[in-house]
Amino acid sequence: MSAFSLTRLSLVARKEVVDLLRDRKSIFLALFGVAISGPLVVCLLYFVAQSIQGRIEKITAPIVNAQFAPDFVRYLERRGVKVEADPQDYEARVKNGELDAVLVVDPNYATALASGRSVTITLVTLSSRERSAPIAGRLAGEVRSYAAMIGNERMILRGIAPSVARPLQLEELDLSSVEQRSARFLQMMSFYALFAGLMGAIAAALDVTAGERERQTLEPLLTTPVAASELAIGKWLAVALVNLLAVTASMLGFLIALKLVPLGKLGLPFNFGAREFAGFMAVLIPFAFMVPGVLLAFGAAGKTAKEAQSSLTLAVSLVGLLPLISWLRQTKAPWWDVWVPVNGQFAVLSKVLRAEAILPLEWVAMWAVPVLICIVALVAFARRLGDEKMLAGR
Amino acid sequence: MIEVEGLCKRFTVRERTSAFALKASTRVVTAVDNVSFTAKDGEVTGLLGPNGAGKTTTLRMLSTLLSSDAGSARIDGADLASERATVRQRLGVLGDAKGLYWRLTARENINYFGRLQGLSLIDSQQRTTALIDELGLHDLADRPTQGFSQGERMKVAIARALVHNPQTVLLDEPTNGLDIMSTRSMRDLIRGLKAQGKCVLFSSHIMQEVAALCDRIVIINKGRAVFSGTPQEVLATTGLDSLEDAFVKLIGSEEGLFA
Repeated sequence: MSAFSLTRLSLVARKEVVDLLRDRKSIFLALFGVAISGPLVVCLLYFVAQSIQGRIEKITAPIVNAQFAPDFVRYLERRGVKVEADPQDYEARVKNGELDAVLVVDPNYATALASGRSVTITLVTLSSRERSAPIAGRLAGEVRSYAAMIGNERMILRGIAPSVARPLQLEELDLSSVEQRSARFLQMMSFYALFAGLMGAIAAALDVTAGERERQTLEPLLTTPVAASELAIGKWLAVALVNLLAVTASMLGFLIALKLVPLGKLGLPFNFGAREFAGFMAVLIPFAFMVPGVLLAFGAAGKTAKEAQSSLTLAVSLVGLLPLISWLRQTKAPWWDVWVPVNGQFAVLSKVLRAEAILPLEWVAMWAVPVLICIVALVAFARRLGDEKMLAGR
Repeated sequence: MIEVEGLCKRFTVRERTSAFALKASTRVVTAVDNVSFTAKDGEVTGLLGPNGAGKTTTLRMLSTLLSSDAGSARIDGADLASERATVRQRLGVLGDAKGLYWRLTARENINYFGRLQGLSLIDSQQRTTALIDELGLHDLADRPTQGFSQGERMKVAIARALVHNPQTVLLDEPTNGLDIMSTRSMRDLIRGLKAQGKCVLFSSHIMQEVAALCDRIVIINKGRAVFSGTPQEVLATTGLDSLEDAFVKLIGSEEGLFA
């Protein structure tokens, strides 16, 4: 075999880039898809946060037997809660989601309160429905604070300091910074950045592997002096370039969306400035090169375009499932977490968003793992391209 | 100049007795069995045989796509196994797979192969333009090949194979699927190559074509070369008047399609 030639390698890479970019429909769809997904996520989060906040602020409390507790009703109204007296058929309406939570006052409320006995207010809600939880929580809080208020007044009337009845005070000290709390909410952004680095490569990888078989162009190519390794690296560079375009488009989409959507107003002071952008790119660039390597190695398997396609789909699902390790884990991340490809990237991107310091060893993992995987994948890819068993027809 | 000596190729085929069978049995198929022949410069040599005779496999081995299991072959003295790079530069191949890049123009398709064959940018562009003129592709040259007709595609594929001006040209069923006009221009092209002193080896299963073009014929059946010589020698050996009858007699059956 002739010696490895950089000229031929760059010829292959240039031809593949031109060829891929001419496929305007696929390229446009892929780039458009990843560029729009970021802003969509941000807008969605904005509207969700806004609606939660709105529902908690402008809350309505349906109260059964409200006429027995006029003082409590007045207290609620002073606190900005609109009271709806005696809702009909409330249990069914709570069940079907029409009402989030209902308060039921004991008919003996007035007499019990007057005689100093304890009285029950029942909170009717459905704990399995997530969207009702903040409203039920707000109502429960109002009942507790009204009870505490009456209790305090009674103690003071009897000349006892209220603190006697409350020997312990619970105070919460949340160590997470503002960035950390809002970043947990926007952790999805790391997911979508990785998603862009995967989606951008799929169509291109399919085209230069399965497409080459479908068009029957691999065989003529292999009769020229071009070496399988030159073909493999050239194709990889071309697909990686397209993938980098996709990643950049996705990041720009996020940047623009975060500039336009006033997340800060909702108590989500989400910071995505130059520092975060640089951090993201430092993680995503090696990732954008690694993914095409893996996809190409899988895509070159199989004699037919169909086989190559199914093999590539397998690789896509493997890459797509890995970040779930982090996403679903409840315990502290073990030391090897950042060394697992995709999953490690997800962990470090989330750290960037939380404005946490990234250890030098983590940066090593972000670059060394992709480099290693690329080498293995490219060797496998080159072998498959040159394998005579893979030629069409036999 | 192509010298082939005792070339063999075996494939291991996995087979299932039925579509639902779990176990596949493997069977060794000998696609090319001890084939020897010589194709000289300035001559057109025809590789003739029924479907599945081993023509494409032989050409694939000669074009370095497949390695041989036994035997050897030399292109202009360069050994196929040990001097692949030289062989690839000496050869122009229009193989079984004749696909083009749809989104590239005809000119880009041809030029890409010229550059891969080691021509400089200027040489490759000049040669591409010359071939486009020669094959009458002017009007199509700068259009993507996607909408090309079968004949137009074949022309681009042949230009791609000849872009580096190879001394030896392998053509696998070059007239397959072409209309009469395109077939005629393909024949003219082959004659032109012969006039330039090139060594042309082409495969076909069409008797008339072989008779019209070839200086020598190699008849292959079931992987074996059953005859090698001039068309006159074919007739003389078999004592028949028509090449077609002689072909059938040499293959030793009339089964053909129904074999």
